[in-house]
Amino acid sequence: MIILLPIVCIALGVLIPYVLHLQPAHGIEATYLAVACIAGLDTVCGGIRTGLEGKFHNDVFLTGFFSNILIAFFFAWLGDKIGLDLALAAVLVLGTRIFTNLSLIRRFLLTKWQDERQRRKLQRQSAPATTNT
Amino acid sequence: MNPFVSRINRGSWELPVCGLCIVLGVMIYLTQINPSTRASRNISAAQSSRIDTTDTELQNQYNKLSAQVQHLQEDNTKLQNAMANQSNQGKVLNQGLQDTKLFAGLTEVEGPGVTITLRDSTKPPPVTDSKPEVVAQELNSIIHDDDVLKVVNELWASGAEAISVNNHRVSIGTSFRCVGPTILVDGARIASPVVIRAIGDSETLKGGLNIPGGILDQLRQQDPAMVEIETVKKHVLPAFTGSTQHTLLSVPKVTK
Repeated sequence: MIILLPIVCIALGVLIPYVLHLQPAHGIEATYLAVACIAGLDTVCGGIRTGLEGKFHNDVFLTGFFSNILIAFFFAWLGDKIGLDLALAAVLVLGTRIFTNLSLIRRFLLTKWQDERQRRKLQRQSAPATTNT
Repeated sequence: MNPFVSRINRGSWELPVCGLCIVLGVMIYLTQINPSTRASRNISAAQSSRIDTTDTELQNQYNKLSAQVQHLQEDNTKLQNAMANQSNQGKVLNQGLQDTKLFAGLTEVEGPGVTITLRDSTKPPPVTDSKPEVVAQELNSIIHDDDVLKVVNELWASGAEAISVNNHRVSIGTSFRCVGPTILVDGARIASPVVIRAIGDSETLKGGLNIPGGILDQLRQQDPAMVEIETVKKHVLPAFTGSTQHTLLSVPKVTK
C-alpha cells in the first residue's frame, strides 16, 4: 500500500497552488516546464523502483530529480532556439523510461504478492502437520 | 567488501520520493492548459513578443499620424478660406473646393442622424460542446467585420450622408477587415462595442436598418442586446484621416 503514497503526494502538490490561487504559466516557457514535469515523473518512477528493489540512494535520487528537470528544461529551450522540436525527443525518451520503470514496479509487486501467497499456502499445508505430531 | 552493499537500504525511500512528488504536483498544476493559456502555448517566445511589440508600435504610430492628418487638414481649410477672401473669383473657386472636400469626407461634419451600437453577446451559449451548430452559434454571438460592413452598407443604401465607425470616418477606400479578435477600420483597430454614427434623416435610416431579414434583424435573432439604435439630434463626425494618396490615377485629357 506504500506505493499509493507518491500518488497521494502528487495530488497534494496539485492542491497547494490551487488553494493558493496560483495561475498556470503562460507562453512557451510553460512548454519547457511541461517537459521538465515529464522528467520529474520519470525520476520519481525510477526512485520508487529502486526503493522497491532496495537499491535506493538518497543523494542519487535528489540530484537526479533536479538535474533531469533542468536538463529537460534546457533541452526544450534549446530546441526552440534552433527551430527543432527537441522537446518531443525528450518526451519520447522520458516516456519510454516511465513505461519501463512502471512495468518493473508492476512486476516487482506482482512477484512479491505471488511469493506471499505461495508462502501462506505452504505454511497452511505444513501447519496441521506440525500440530498433529 | 563491496562498497555498494553497505549503502543498500540506508534510509527509507518513501520520504524523499513523496517530498519530490509534491514538487512535481505543483509543476504539473503550473503547466496545465486552460482556456487562458492555450493561445500562448503554440507560438515561440521570440515570435509572440515580436508580434506584440510591432503591433502596438504600429497602432500608436497610426493613431499619432491620423491625429496629425486631421490637424493639417483643418489648417488647409483655414488657409484656403483666407486666400479665397482676397478676391471674388477665389471665393467661387473655394466654394467649389469646400463642397468637394465635404463630399470626400475630408472635413468634420455635423448633423442629425442615428447612432448604432453593436455589442458582442454576453448570453452564454446553451451547451458547451463542439457540435457544429453550437460552434456556429458561438461564432454568431460576436460582432464580425462583415457585420460592421453590412450595417455601413445598409446605412449608405438608406441615404446616410456621412458615417463614422468608432470615430473613424468612412470615406472612399475605407475597408473593414478582421484581424484576430479585433476589426480593422482602414488601419485603426477597434473592438466591441462598435459605435456606428451616421448623419442623415433618422427616420429613413432607422426604417432601412430595421427591415425584416436585414443585418440588424439577424443579429437581434441571436441576442436582442447585441444591437442598439438611438436617434441623435446633432452629432459631429470627424474628418477622414486615412490615405488620400494616388499613384496611378489621373484625369484623362479631353481631346476635341
